[in-house]
Amino acid sequence: MSLALLAARLGKHQAALEYQWMKRAASPAPLDQMVARRVAGEPLQYILGEQPFGPLTIKLRPPVLIPRPETEHWTLRLVDVLKAAPSRQLAVLDLGTGTGCIPLLLCHLLSPGTVRAHGVDVSPDAVSLANENAVLCGLSASDANVPRNIFRSIQSSFLNPLFPRQPQLTPPFDIITSNPPYVSWAEYVRLPRSVKHYEDPKALFGGPDGLDFYRAIAALVAVKGFLNPGALVVVEVGDGQAERVRKIFHSAAQVKSEIWLDPWNKMRTVIVKPIF
Amino acid sequence: MSSPEDILRLKQLKETEPIQDAWDLWVNTREALRETTALLDDPELRSMAAQDHAMLSESLKEIVKTKFPAILVPPSRTANLSSLMELKSGVGGSEASLFLGEMLRMYLRLAQVSRWKANVVVSNGLDAGGVRDAVVEFRGAGAYDALRLESGVHRVQRVPATEQSGRVHTSTVAVVVLPLVEESDAQQDLYSMDDIKVEVMRARGAGGQHVNKTESAVRLTHIPTGITVAMQDERSQHQNKRRAFQVLASRLMDAKLAREMEERRASRRNLVKSADRSDKIRTYNYAQERVTDHRIGLSLMNLTSVMEGDGLQVFLTALQKDHEESQLEDMLQED
Repeated sequence: MSLALLAARLGKHQAALEYQWMKRAASPAPLDQMVARRVAGEPLQYILGEQPFGPLTIKLRPPVLIPRPETEHWTLRLVDVLKAAPSRQLAVLDLGTGTGCIPLLLCHLLSPGTVRAHGVDVSPDAVSLANENAVLCGLSASDANVPRNIFRSIQSSFLNPLFPRQPQLTPPFDIITSNPPYVSWAEYVRLPRSVKHYEDPKALFGGPDGLDFYRAIAALVAVKGFLNPGALVVVEVGDGQAERVRKIFHSAAQVKSEIWLDPWNKMRTVIVKPIF
Repeated sequence: MSSPEDILRLKQLKETEPIQDAWDLWVNTREALRETTALLDDPELRSMAAQDHAMLSESLKEIVKTKFPAILVPPSRTANLSSLMELKSGVGGSEASLFLGEMLRMYLRLAQVSRWKANVVVSNGLDAGGVRDAVVEFRGAGAYDALRLESGVHRVQRVPATEQSGRVHTSTVAVVVLPLVEESDAQQDLYSMDDIKVEVMRARGAGGQHVNKTESAVRLTHIPTGITVAMQDERSQHQNKRRAFQVLASRLMDAKLAREMEERRASRRNLVKSADRSDKIRTYNYAQERVTDHRIGLSLMNLTSVMEGDGLQVFLTALQKDHEESQLEDMLQED
C-alpha cells in the first residue's frame, strides 16, 4: 500500500501529511506514481509542481531551487517593513532569483503601481520559470490603465565584474534582495540526497567557504550610482554565516546593518543599509 | 448615499418588521372572524360560515400561542455567523474514531441540505479507517446558530465491526462548535498580537538551502488565556499560521460570547441549566435504532435517518425551540 511505503521512508507523521497533500494535488499524475517518486527521494515540491509562498502559489520545475519557509518568513517581514514606511516608487533587484518567489511576493503584497522588480539568474531554467511565474501571478506586463507592479527576469551572472554595466539593468535600485547560493564545499558533500541530487548545484554552492556571492553583492553596493539613497540590501545567509557576511559588507562600504532571526531562531537574514 | 444614521434607522425598522407582520396578521384574522360571526345567523351560509369560524378561531389561538411569544425572543446576535466545528474521539479507541467519521459525514450531509459551504480543514485519519479528530468549517449565515447546540459529548452504543464476540461497546465523540470569525472581522478586538507567541514545531538542522523537507507546522499560544492552537495540515507556514489565527479567533469569540451570556444571566436571579461541554448530550443506540437527546428528552426511533441528516434536522429544530422557550422563561422571571 502507498501510505505504508511512504511511512517506511518518511516516518508515520510526515508520511500522513504528505500523503494527504498528494491526494489533494492538482497534478494529473496518478497517486501511486507520485508516491513512488517520493519514496525514491525526489522532493515533494517537485512532484506537486508548486509551492505556496505567502498567499502565492509558485510554479516549480526541477532543478530550480525550491522556495524555503525561512525565505518566506523574511520576505513577509520585509513587506511589513516597507509597508510601515511612506509609500514610494521602489526599484527592486533580486539576485539569483530562482523561481522569482521573493520579488513576486513583494510585488503581490505592496501597493499596485509602486514596484518595478528585476530578477537575475545565471540559469536559463530559472529565468524562464521566473517569467512564467510573473505571468501566472499577473505581474508580467504593464497596463497603462491599471496601476500594477511588474516583475521581469533576465539571464546574467552577478559574479561577473562587468555585471553593473549590463545594458538590461536600470540602476539605481532601492531594494536589493538575494537568497544567493551559500552552501560551502565541506557542507555540500553532506547535503541530504533530496537536495544534492535534485536541486541545481548552481543555486546551492557558494564557493569554498560559501561566501563568494556575498563578496560580489558587497562589491555592487560599493558601485557608485548603483543604489539610491535610503536603499536596503537584504540577503539570506546560511547557518552560522551572519556575522561573517555582515563583516564582508562593512569592509566593502560605509553601511549600517542588522540581523533577523528565522522562525527556528537561526540568524538568517542580514539587512544592510548603505550610509550616503 | 445613505448616512450611518440612515443605516441604523433602516436596521431598526427591519428588526421591527416581524412585530408589524404579526400584528397585521392578528388584526386581519380578527376582522375576518368578526365578519364570519355575522354570517352565522344567515340560514343559507351558516354551515360554511361555521367551518370558517372554527378555522379562524384556531388561527387566532395559534397566533397568540406561537407568533406573539416568538417576537419576544430577542433576535440572535450571532445569526449571521458561520461556524467552526471540532470533533475529537473520546473513550472507545478506534471504534470512537470510526463513529467520528460517520458523524462527520452526517454533518456534511446536513450542510449540503442547509446550503452551507463545508470545508474539512483538518482531518487526522487512522490506518484502520476512521478519523481521530477533525475540524470543519461551515460557511453560511445561520450555521453557527443552527449547530452550536451540537456542542457536547455524543455517545454511541453498538457492536463494532471489529468486535468478534458481538459485545456492545460504548464510545464517545466530543464536539465543540465555535463561531467562525472572518479575518476581516475585527480580530483585533479579540486579541493583541503582543499576547501571542508563535512557535514552529520541529527542529530543522541548519535549515535554509540545506533542507528541503516540508516543515510547516505552527503553534500559537494566547498568553492571557493559555489557549493554544496547533496547525500542520497546510504546506506552508504562512497558511498554517493563517488557519491557526482563525481558530484562535473563533475560540476567543466563543469565550467572549459565553462570558456575555454569563453576565446577562448573573443579572437575573434564576439559575439556568448550564450547558457544559463535558456533558453527555446525545446517545446513538444502534441495536434499538434509537437516538436520544438527553437535554430535551427527545428520542427518535430512526437512527438511519439521523445519520443521513434528515433526522438530525428534527433534533436541531426541537433544540432551537427549547432554547427559545428557555430564553422566554428567563425574560419572564426577570420581572
